[in-house]
Amino acid sequence: MTSAPAATRTSSAGEKTAAFVVKWGFVAVTVALIVFFAITEPSFRTVDNVFGMLKFIAPTAIAGLGVMLAMTVGGIDLSVGASAGFAVSIAAWTMVVANQQGGVAITVVLICGLLIGALNAFLIVVARIPDLLATLTTMFVIVGLKLIIVNGQSISSQMTLSNGETAPGKFTSDFLWLDHGDVGPVPVPVIIFFLITLALWFLLERTRWGRALFAVGTNSEAARLAGIRVQWYRTAAYMGCGLLASIAGLLLAARIGQGDVTAGNSLLLDAVAVALVGVSVLGIGRPNAWGTALGAVLIAVMVTGFTMLGLPYYFQDFGKGIVLLIALLFSFTFSRRRTVVTAGSTTSSS
Amino acid sequence: MAIIRRAPLVAAVAAAALLALTACSQGGASTSAATSTSAATATAPLPSPFNGAPVKVALVRQSGAGDFFEAWGAGATAQAKAANIDLTVTDARNDNAKQASDLEQAIAAKPDAIIVDHGQTDTLQPLITEAIAAKIPVVTYDLALTDATGVITTSQSDASMAQGVLDQLVSDVGDGAKVGYVSATGFAPLDARAKVWNQVVADHKLDVVFSTGEVTESTATDNIPLVDAALKQNPDVQAIFAPYDEITKGAVQAVIQNNMQSKVKVYGIDISNADLQVMTAAGSPWVATSATDPAAVGAGVVRTLALQLAGQLNATSEQFPAVTITQKFLSDNSVTNVAQLRVAEPKLKLDTTLVADWLPAVSG
Repeated sequence: MTSAPAATRTSSAGEKTAAFVVKWGFVAVTVALIVFFAITEPSFRTVDNVFGMLKFIAPTAIAGLGVMLAMTVGGIDLSVGASAGFAVSIAAWTMVVANQQGGVAITVVLICGLLIGALNAFLIVVARIPDLLATLTTMFVIVGLKLIIVNGQSISSQMTLSNGETAPGKFTSDFLWLDHGDVGPVPVPVIIFFLITLALWFLLERTRWGRALFAVGTNSEAARLAGIRVQWYRTAAYMGCGLLASIAGLLLAARIGQGDVTAGNSLLLDAVAVALVGVSVLGIGRPNAWGTALGAVLIAVMVTGFTMLGLPYYFQDFGKGIVLLIALLFSFTFSRRRTVVTAGSTTSSS
Repeated sequence: MAIIRRAPLVAAVAAAALLALTACSQGGASTSAATSTSAATATAPLPSPFNGAPVKVALVRQSGAGDFFEAWGAGATAQAKAANIDLTVTDARNDNAKQASDLEQAIAAKPDAIIVDHGQTDTLQPLITEAIAAKIPVVTYDLALTDATGVITTSQSDASMAQGVLDQLVSDVGDGAKVGYVSATGFAPLDARAKVWNQVVADHKLDVVFSTGEVTESTATDNIPLVDAALKQNPDVQAIFAPYDEITKGAVQAVIQNNMQSKVKVYGIDISNADLQVMTAAGSPWVATSATDPAAVGAGVVRTLALQLAGQLNATSEQFPAVTITQKFLSDNSVTNVAQLRVAEPKLKLDTTLVADWLPAVSG
């Protein structure tokens, strides 16, 4: 620990270059891709397309921000995709089967999200099950529970219920506004995405709670000795993650317009990927909101650009894999010294 | 940063978990994308708007994965190329939210036309209405709409697939025969086939001695014990209708397992190289199936669009017919794979459906 700061003072030109690449590499790649697609594909550089891409990636980004929050306390949440899928079915059930207004559906879904987060927190904090296994279990439980609640069916308006009657409700227009609405030229999901990113940035980087979350994630024993209520912060992080996953689910539900039982399935890997990419962006070396948002934007740019170039979907997977690989290289290989310094200084200051 | 150090494990577990959840069965037939050899050539110059710069068309797909959908896409792409269409393909990989985004972005790019391949009604209807309002011609394939105003709808006729095979069944075993049914509910094509089945059962007073079946991640294997139990309980059954090739294969296996292939006939739907092997095996109980060539259908959808843009389409709805294939036909023509089947049964190529002298059928 003590030798690490000394080493950074005598860093060579090569290490400075490496540090520069680590700090700006991802931003540069994103900008380069945007410029490349903007030049080669005329339809890429339209305002409609820019907002379209941000809108398309908003649910993934918001779920990724949830994973990011769990990562701040040194954990992970593999149930975000399932939570979002649960939200889609519950929102549809509340409006279509229970015939309630959109506002009621949103409230019910957000409460469900908090409860799923609380379940994860209970398993991890109280039952002491490792986070990977606990959230994996939760994922299976809530996917199953969702299918039980909806009898394995995608809930849509005018569907025939098990008692032979036609479902009374439909997706209300105020609920659909979550996806279809615009404020000025900006789609509503993009605004929600931006506001959540801003709020999380403020929470993590500008408040005492943010510092406490990172302290718990870096060295929970030291945090405990420093008087931080470690278990409380871990619980809060998982509940926050559950809440964000359910918000992602609300956006998906409004986009799909029915209780599609497969919704959310494809969310998990992308959400974890953008959170991991976020760690390496700007060489910050720890989970952060803007990095996660940038990771999501990079994926949106890649998926859209590749599609416009006429590449099949598996190129998108390949591209995402390469981006994640580079992110992990930045986090582990190139910035090891920085990470150690960060960890050391955090430990000594707390 | 414990989580960073465990990232590879995280990724591995996440991947495994995701696979467990999303690995999805490939609904429908699986025909290999063997290229057809006789590439037809146009005998007339392309009319407007195809005689200038390439016509920009967006193809918005729910899924393009699996043999069937790959072949469909290959057929559509080949036909587009022949007609001077620049086809931009998006593939939502069964993610309906992604398909909505894809369609939204396609509309924003203002193409000359949009093709929507499969999808959820509630998800896509508002966007299709939006596209029509923006004066972008839309052709759909196998997509149910609540408001099809201004839309050209096309589909593979599930009803015709079931009807052809069931006509064969009735002519083989006769009215009032004891029959078994192996299928599942909740899947649009299977539900459409079930309707035809119920009608045929009523019309020909068939005695349905068992109804079973399920669609799972390994449908063929999982249906064997179900049909096995049903056969043991009803050894006098004469014919089984199993209207989805994965289920058909399970039913065939169960019949062979019980050594009943001499008295129980199995009627399936769909065709693939693997299916043909099962059908043509010595003593196979699978006597008839119904098939379309996905590549030919994909090409047919593009031709529908091309005729519409050229102002030569006279209908707003097109159905691509299925062909009934019997075990006898396969053995008479020594057919053992899909490529040979295309040669032996030219109707599969749909080369007289929706063609013009400037627009011959090109599917490979």
